[in-house]
Amino acid sequence: MAKFILNGKPVAADVDGETPLLWVIRDELDMTGTKFGCGIGTCGACTVHVGGRATRSCVTPISAVEGASITTIEGLSETGAHPLQISWQKHQVPQCGYCQSGQIMQAAALLKDIPQPTDAEIDAVMSGNLCRCMTYVRIREAIHEAADSMKEASHVKIA
Amino acid sequence: MRKRSLYSVFIAAIVAVGAFSIYAWHPSMAPITPPVKDQFAADVIAQGKVLAAAGYCSTCHTTPGGSPYAGNYEMHTDFGIIYSSNITPDVQTGIGNWSEEAFIRAMRTGVSRDGHHLLPAFPYEHFNKMTDEDIKAVYAYIMSSVPAVSQQKIDNGIPFPLNIRFLQSGWKLLFADTTPFKPQADESAEWNRGAYLAQGVAHCGACHTPRNALGGEKRDQMYSGAAIDGWIAPSLTTSSKAPLKWRAADFDEYLRTGNSSFHGSAAGPMAPVVHAGLSALSDSDLKAISVYFGALAGNHNDNPASSPALKAALESQQLPDPRIDNGARLYAISCQSCHYSSNELNKGRPLLALGSALHLDDPTNLINVTLDGFRANQGITGVVMPAFRDALSDEDITAIATYLRQSAGEQPWPNLKQKVAEIRLQPRFEH
Amino acid sequence: MSRLPNKNKDSGMTRRGFLIAMTAVGVSFGFPRTSWSAMDPATEGGALLPDNGSLYEPSLWYSIDAKGKIKVNIIRAEMGQHVGTSIARILADELEANWDDVEIVHVDSHKKWGLMVTGGSWSVSQSWSVYRQAGAAGRTALLEAAAKKWAVPVGKCHASNGKVICGNKEISYGDLIAAGVNRQFTEAELKALPLKPNDDLKLVGKQVTSLDISNKTTGKTVFGIDAKIDGMVYAAPILPPTRYGSTVTAMDDSAAKAVKGYQQTLVLEDPSQTVPGWLVVIADSYYAAHKAAALVKVSWQAGAAANVSEVDIINHGRELLKDNSKGAILDTGDVNTEPVFSQAASIIEYEYLTSTVLHAQMEPLNALVFQNEDGIWEIHSGCQWQSLTTSVLAAALGVAEDNILIRAYMLGGGFGRRLNGDYTVPAALVSKALGGKPVKLVFTRAQDLQFDSPRSASVQQLKMAFNADKTVIAMEHHATAGWPTEVMIPVFMPKGVNGQPFDPFSIAGADHWYSVGAQKVRAVSNDLANASFRPGWLRSVGPGWTNWALESFMDEAAHHAGKDPLAFRLALLTAQGRNAGSGPIASGGAARQAAVLQKAAEMIGWGTALPEGSGMGIASTFGQERDMPTWVAVAAQVRVDKSTGLVHVEKLQVVVDAGIIVDPNGAQAQCQGAALWGLSMALYEGTELVNGKFKDSNFDSYTPLRIGQTPEVNIEFIVSSYAPSGLGEPAVTPVAPAIANAIYQAIGVRLRKIPMTANDVKAALIKA
Repeated sequence: MAKFILNGKPVAADVDGETPLLWVIRDELDMTGTKFGCGIGTCGACTVHVGGRATRSCVTPISAVEGASITTIEGLSETGAHPLQISWQKHQVPQCGYCQSGQIMQAAALLKDIPQPTDAEIDAVMSGNLCRCMTYVRIREAIHEAADSMKEASHVKIA
Repeated sequence: MRKRSLYSVFIAAIVAVGAFSIYAWHPSMAPITPPVKDQFAADVIAQGKVLAAAGYCSTCHTTPGGSPYAGNYEMHTDFGIIYSSNITPDVQTGIGNWSEEAFIRAMRTGVSRDGHHLLPAFPYEHFNKMTDEDIKAVYAYIMSSVPAVSQQKIDNGIPFPLNIRFLQSGWKLLFADTTPFKPQADESAEWNRGAYLAQGVAHCGACHTPRNALGGEKRDQMYSGAAIDGWIAPSLTTSSKAPLKWRAADFDEYLRTGNSSFHGSAAGPMAPVVHAGLSALSDSDLKAISVYFGALAGNHNDNPASSPALKAALESQQLPDPRIDNGARLYAISCQSCHYSSNELNKGRPLLALGSALHLDDPTNLINVTLDGFRANQGITGVVMPAFRDALSDEDITAIATYLRQSAGEQPWPNLKQKVAEIRLQPRFEH
Repeated sequence: MSRLPNKNKDSGMTRRGFLIAMTAVGVSFGFPRTSWSAMDPATEGGALLPDNGSLYEPSLWYSIDAKGKIKVNIIRAEMGQHVGTSIARILADELEANWDDVEIVHVDSHKKWGLMVTGGSWSVSQSWSVYRQAGAAGRTALLEAAAKKWAVPVGKCHASNGKVICGNKEISYGDLIAAGVNRQFTEAELKALPLKPNDDLKLVGKQVTSLDISNKTTGKTVFGIDAKIDGMVYAAPILPPTRYGSTVTAMDDSAAKAVKGYQQTLVLEDPSQTVPGWLVVIADSYYAAHKAAALVKVSWQAGAAANVSEVDIINHGRELLKDNSKGAILDTGDVNTEPVFSQAASIIEYEYLTSTVLHAQMEPLNALVFQNEDGIWEIHSGCQWQSLTTSVLAAALGVAEDNILIRAYMLGGGFGRRLNGDYTVPAALVSKALGGKPVKLVFTRAQDLQFDSPRSASVQQLKMAFNADKTVIAMEHHATAGWPTEVMIPVFMPKGVNGQPFDPFSIAGADHWYSVGAQKVRAVSNDLANASFRPGWLRSVGPGWTNWALESFMDEAAHHAGKDPLAFRLALLTAQGRNAGSGPIASGGAARQAAVLQKAAEMIGWGTALPEGSGMGIASTFGQERDMPTWVAVAAQVRVDKSTGLVHVEKLQVVVDAGIIVDPNGAQAQCQGAALWGLSMALYEGTELVNGKFKDSNFDSYTPLRIGQTPEVNIEFIVSSYAPSGLGEPAVTPVAPAIANAIYQAIGVRLRKIPMTANDVKAALIKA
């Protein structure tokens, strides 16, 4: 029985320890916002946060996350109003939308570590996230905008 | 003439075997009725619990998912597969009827209560450095607080003649360090406390000190790095290949968190050392160990933030064009999302060019981590690295490792692809 | 929509029949709404919002309820174009609705909807007049109802923002419907309804947020792969060594039985011959099914393709082109080129190649199939061509098409892959074998790519004849590739002037708008390709590769003629004769192509000197088809590193004339994506057939464009009042030749194969 925290709630799944986290989240725990893309950790569609770090769930065995705290796109923000989600909507980034959960989760981890990323830094950290609709131009724009809005928000807090 | 001399050799051999037998023989010590819990003082039990953790007793005496201290943990050695003993206070299958004296003898000399010799995988030569008081505390903890579990020990898979326990005493005679811990008067109390813990209960040298062909620690090369359990335990001395020198502060960060930002994370067998073991120690004890190793590593104190090596490592993140470097391309799509670290270091985004894995002469650690990643209880607690075992081919992993090795400014590893293939087929150690 | 003459009258299922299937007819069909459920991409879980009180359905395409909420029925698949938002907006504008009241409904595959296909960049163009008429019908009925209520002449009333206003009285649409409206229109009445002048359009061309986007940022969108039904089992396919002709000779699942949750392995019997030689493993979970599948030992007698590789396809293509009797000659006016060539002062002739290209849409192929309690086979899966897929499924299941229903899901990428519904067949066969039990079959990425219907490799040979002063006097374009339309729906093929059928999606683009005198365009089916794998339609279809050859060749022709490539093209875009264009969409013809070319040249600063090793190139196309042209020009700026052979695209300036732009933000997104798709195929992606299989099986070696490879892309639209054409594909088509032309300007080397690799550049430099 694998036990971990999913979007703030303790969960358990009776599965083979080698089962990738992705399929446990999607099929056992019915959270389908996290997507299957390549199964080998090269496209980023399955990105979730484990302990706050962007992690490819398709190549993470469930046994590895025992006790860990996992956040999926459904748990990024209770109201769907994470600054990245807001900027993603404003810039109308998604086309087919399939990769976007992973893009947003990866970008959220990026902004935690590098709050004001340059284009080169965005490219480096987001290169593992493939978008076949090729929304890359807008992804860059939306990340910059979210970074700016988060910076303003943190300034407000300090003041 | 020739016949005669052969004869005298024979006689000498008989005499030697006889003398050895006398040396090797140890008496059985009387079984006792298991002690009752309240005969031990609470503070002694508490101290014993810390020391049992700091000695990783449960790591080697517990199967993955099994009952703590009940033994049968499988160890692959150069000499065959061996299984650890049940050290719960169970009378039939554990150490329930061991007296304190029998326990101390085992801890100091590697001789079981019944007189048979324990294999040196049990690091009694390190535990021998512990004070009687500390060993008694461990005894108190086990006898009072570990639940008795009835579990018969699995026979070891060591082939003849190495399986003759009798011969173990010869090994001891040849290799074991039987001297007690001696404080160094010219070192600080903190250093001495660290040395006591590191050489004794924490038995750091058991992994980090190279061994000779028969498994004895080479004491003249203490902590200079060794292969262990399918991993490489890197050098902790001035011979370390880390681009940034290990400072006491780095050891301290590493031992407290499982990761040093200027180096890397505790992987493989080192993960439980940090998280299931040393984490029980007080901050001052961890600091003492760090001071001790900081001194062994050369007492460096320069701020690495301004080091040219750090600058070079950060700059090495500039990838060549993915169209003409397959390894860089695969690194960019599979690894960089977590490992890219901006223009300054970011804890949790390990900068691989700084880690020992890329600088060791042996690529084993890098390959292991690529294949099996980090579980949440390894490295930095609560975060994981995925396992690429079923995701990337030997060619892919070879390409990534080749690229990383080059980016770290090192010469290529020879026969890398073959090494990846070999390691992929090795049994996975559970740590 | 009947854009090509129907020359296939003998067949029951005709191309024309397909193309005119989307009618304006608005009668109510009386189907119970609830039994044909559908998906709203804006709601949680895709469930439709409940109707409030009485309903009015002015046409098949929408309903309005007693609170004024409008449900617009969308027959097009949503795969990133925000197509529902575009189409609903066309209707809402004409209806004078309040946009906040609009809901969109992606409908199931019931035959009442007529032809259901999402491809060819047709959706908005084909919906334009239909949904405007439908909107006008509702507006008219509501105006009449209000006028009747207050006994005033209709002419004294007008509609605005979901209300009818007559003098100083106003009433909401909802209140009118609550009081009862049931006016219906005949097709003749519909066609006679007055439409708003284009200048009065309020929603078309304006910024609104697409209704599918919010859920795509929160993980709530429901894609086919997310479909789940109680009691379903998971299925993992085992693919044979070749696409066709493999037969199973032995199967041993004893090792698989050790996998917890394993149920059984089935060797499929497929009357439709879609998945010959397949096995499917059934288990309790995705992981168990695929883990067990890896342990099943299978032997096959492999099909003939096991000995066919990319080079064989190319060489076979060359053999086919050598034989002038092969293939169809398109109607390009004067096709009698031989006499002109025989008298030419000079001739140039070059060959261009393209590699096999995989769709690699992000959502791996999948389908959930079961037989519902009414005996209907429900297919839960994203699909671009329901009308084609139901016919294949009918053959596979041995039932009438009426017994098959494809439910609508969002598509995790289409790009043409889901036009071919072959991936629904194995799940359907397994469900049938299990007595109609729900079966969810998900391909691994490797299986998805192996089973792809890729863009076929192609060979093209172009010739141009010049007179003594280097004026163009004739041109020939011969092209061969695997033909998806021939393989999957041959009735869709029109005939050439020589009576031979051809795949329009494997030659369009070659029938260009340059006036070149006698012009011959010949399309030849590569039968070896067709037999070795299943060629597919891939975003931008034929024009995605015919223009690679054509626009590279036009540059070569300009250099031969000693002319500037821009000036050379403009001189041929005279908009004379058949190139003048006609009809609401295509009027303006070649003059519009000239305009986008000039604009792109201006944006890039055409003629400006660049540093050593850098260059600019231009190319332009008419998008997808002559009767729905989208005029596109691309100007590319590149830097070439001669030592490594690496081509760095620094800038893409894209100019598009697609008539009226319904959704400006979506149009820009489509063109950005399309231009980058073009860049990806030009420099980064491509595979090859190796012994019947595609060389690449996942993204570790198949390498579409990534974010770090994305250059500056600027999109400009020509303000236009022509009826809308399409936008999903056209901007793909000029990118690769623009880059090749820029490379030529930068380093004087001509590349004639895509993708253009660093090694190709180095090899060409050595040769030069």
